Amino acid sequence: MGSILIVAEVQNGSIREASYELASFAQKLGREVHSLVIGSGVAGEAEAFAKKGGGTVHLVDAEAAANYNVDVYAAAIKAAVAATSPDAVLISNTPTGWDVAPRIAAAQDCGFVSDAFDVAEEGGSLVFKRRVFNGKLDAQITASGPVVATMQPGGTAPFEGTTDGSVSALEADLSGAKSAFVEVKVAEAKGVDLSKAEIIVSGGRGVGEPEKFPEVIQPLADALGGAMGASRPVVDAGWLPHEYQVGSSGQIVTPKLYIAAGISGAIQHLVGMKGSNFVIAINKDPDAPIFEVADVGVVADLFEVVPALTEAVSAAKG
Amino acid sequence: MKILVCLKQVPHQDARLDIDAAGTWIKEDNIKFEINSYDTYALEEALRIKDAGEAEVVVTSIGPDRVTQALRTALGMGADRAVHVKDAEIDGSDALGVAKVLAAVAKEESPDLVLMGLMSDDSNASAVGPMIAELMGVPNASSVMKVELADGKVTCERELEGGALEVVELQTPCVLAVQSGLNQVRYASLKGIMAAKKKPIDVKGAGDIGLSGQVGAGAAKTTIDKIYPPPKGEGAELIEGSTGEVVEKLVGKIKELGLL
Ligand SMILES: Cc1cc2nc3c(=O)[nH]c(=O)nc-3n(C[C@H](O)[C@H](O)[C@H](O)COP(=O)(O)OP(=O)(O)OC[C@H]3O[C@@H](n4cnc5c(N)ncnc54)[C@H](O)[C@@H]3O)c2cc1C
Repeated sequence: MGSILIVAEVQNGSIREASYELASFAQKLGREVHSLVIGSGVAGEAEAFAKKGGGTVHLVDAEAAANYNVDVYAAAIKAAVAATSPDAVLISNTPTGWDVAPRIAAAQDCGFVSDAFDVAEEGGSLVFKRRVFNGKLDAQITASGPVVATMQPGGTAPFEGTTDGSVSALEADLSGAKSAFVEVKVAEAKGVDLSKAEIIVSGGRGVGEPEKFPEVIQPLADALGGAMGASRPVVDAGWLPHEYQVGSSGQIVTPKLYIAAGISGAIQHLVGMKGSNFVIAINKDPDAPIFEVADVGVVADLFEVVPALTEAVSAAKG
Repeated sequence: MKILVCLKQVPHQDARLDIDAAGTWIKEDNIKFEINSYDTYALEEALRIKDAGEAEVVVTSIGPDRVTQALRTALGMGADRAVHVKDAEIDGSDALGVAKVLAAVAKEESPDLVLMGLMSDDSNASAVGPMIAELMGVPNASSVMKVELADGKVTCERELEGGALEVVELQTPCVLAVQSGLNQVRYASLKGIMAAKKKPIDVKGAGDIGLSGQVGAGAAKTTIDKIYPPPKGEGAELIEGSTGEVVEKLVGKIKELGLL
């Protein structure tokens, strides 16, 4: 059986938790494990990774790799693949992973699986599980040969054991990049800080029209003394500003009560609200994935339930 | 300036998803299709670049006859011409097979920019953009939220997690996989739809782009064994009854939480 190559991701100077999850997957498969650590001044991180599931760590420590750049990362990963001839390359499904991982599959002319939440071995092949149709269905995918896979952050727990590992420098030609990193702009604090709200009432694409937010969603939030939130399509359509968006590319919220109306429950939304203490979901589709994370679900038209609930809450408050 | 926009036609976001007899995809007969939502933002961005100066916008899509509808819509929105790659030989391709077809089209067209959505609403793979870039030997950026062109260079803002943005500068040609919300997508006007009827749709097979025998199910390196509804966990406690009863129970729950 061939080896596994993990591409660890350095974020703000340290290897992110998602990379330790890749170590869990790789160690579970029981193959020889190699890792690539790319960055600038990251030798200490590489040592730590080698001892915690990363196996034989190949280190590309260079000024050119101080910030993420697709050409530089692709060159480093290709060098690591050439040095280790792995059966599988595992990369986290993050903005870095989805930018560079498919390039490696194309360069190797091998299989590619993205955003898998599980991997196992069956009859010598790697078998992956992933979501399709924005979380409404699951798919099982088999790679018939070598494969590059991006794994969903949170798909498994980070590796916790101690392993024998070693670190050695990897030669990689990082010159010739046709793109250049300029800067990272961090999100500015906006007027609505949902991260502190105790109650959030969020509306999704199912709310259907921009006017329905002030007419239907905001009144329930007001009646409960809470804040209004939204899913991404609502913000993409320009119905509400970005500061209302809950999810992986919006705000991460942890209210005591989260009410999701007309939201299907795609993983990127769930990432933002699954830390809520209590979740009520209102959706007319009984199979909507949101019902899997909700404590209480109502399969109904939100335009019947939400206004009635607003009235009942106001009445209860007296 | 020439821009190639890759479009995928996918089941409508509100279509019923019934699993087919083989258990490996959904039943595609009797459902509505639409242009993949992420790709509509790519098309809009190309049209904005065209509106701001001189650019030819070519749209391309792979798929059966129904794909003509998606291409007509794109032409109606303002694209100049279309390339429809239609060949049973391509059926069953994996993402890399699809990328090879699109890269071959790009090679023939030699555009300055190749635009597409970050992912498709059906297979959610986020694969073909960077793959095309690798096959073309050009740089790429994905999750693009802003595009600026100047002096033969493209400056993009890529969305990172939690609302942060990464600014990156790319030489042209390059491939950009755009994120939803990059712009507000226009509708095709009646005038546009009428004009689109005269715009050409070039139909090509795998052989025409030099890929006969290299794509399709036989060349695929990954296979879908099955698709299935996600296993149900404990799930939510479902509250049923008339609206009045449901609301009464919900108020009860909120009171139990001490929030009322
Ligand atoms: C990189 C990346 C980052 C992302 N970041 C985020 C993020 O931060 N936040 C986020 O939310 N999404 C994010 N997304 C998008 C995400 O994948 C989904 O597309 C999105 O969450 C879907 O939003 P929705 O549930 O409102 O819409 P849909 O999935 O379209 O669901 C609408 C729901 O409304 C229901 N409905 C319709 N009408 C009614 C009615 N009258 N009554 C009751 N129910 C009704 C439908 O049954 C359906 O379940 C991201 C995607 C990517 C690729």
